[in-house]
Amino acid sequence: MKKTVEIVWIVLIVLTIFAYLLGKLHLASGFMVGVLLFTTLIKGQLVIDYFMGMKNVSWGYRLIPTIWLFVIISSIAASYYL
Amino acid sequence: MQKSVTLKEPYPPGDFAIWLVIYVELITFGLMFLGYAYSRHADVALFNKSQLLLNQTSGFIDTLILISGSYFIVKAVNLVKTAKGKQMIVEANQKASKWMLASILFGCLFLVNKILEFSDIFGQGISLDTNKFFMFYLLLTMFHFMHVTLGTIILFNIFRRTKASAYSAEDSRGIETGAVYWHLVDVLWIVLFPLIYIIR
Repeated sequence: MKKTVEIVWIVLIVLTIFAYLLGKLHLASGFMVGVLLFTTLIKGQLVIDYFMGMKNVSWGYRLIPTIWLFVIISSIAASYYL
Repeated sequence: MQKSVTLKEPYPPGDFAIWLVIYVELITFGLMFLGYAYSRHADVALFNKSQLLLNQTSGFIDTLILISGSYFIVKAVNLVKTAKGKQMIVEANQKASKWMLASILFGCLFLVNKILEFSDIFGQGISLDTNKFFMFYLLLTMFHFMHVTLGTIILFNIFRRTKASAYSAEDSRGIETGAVYWHLVDVLWIVLFPLIYIIR
């Protein structure tokens, strides 16, 4: 039996705990911000693909939220590091 | 050797109009996120100092609530999307209504948690004009709060329709429309949480 949605949910929870621990342990600066933003990109894309159901939609529509997410995360990273 | 080919759906799930709303919301929140990020770049010390007054645990709980609420809705949608035949439609809608009720409860939990967080912030004498960090924090989180409120009302209407066994494999447009709106609210928070509460 396929458990894709359950796996996605668990990955989202684990990555959220990771982000929280970075904050609590005062590690969310420097290089780790890049790691944190990358995990945020993964979380957003998982919700877009598997919760919104865009994985099975034609590329034209699927790319719109994906490009939005990539541009926003990249711009946040640029504002942090540049 | 057999090779399975999955055909792509030509259009995204839900009503076309909700996608127009989603695109507008993505642009609006996107500009606010960038406004925050570049304002922070201009005054890192102020943003880091102000951020210490936020409750990271509250933001963390909010994220878990939204992600789990989204998961419950996916379960409800998947149930009704495969329901064919009168008996199966009734059973699927009854099960879906329980998932929807759980997602509504989680939506309400988010709102209560946020109200507690706002009352704590306002209790410290902080307002929109305290400084640029709190202007962005309050604008973004309150704007998002309004979206969760609307999303919860939409979920409640879907819940009522599942109670009436209104959705099936042939007619799942309504539940899918409400679901994608909720997932949008989820995606926005997924970016907002590390940006405002965590990154230093």
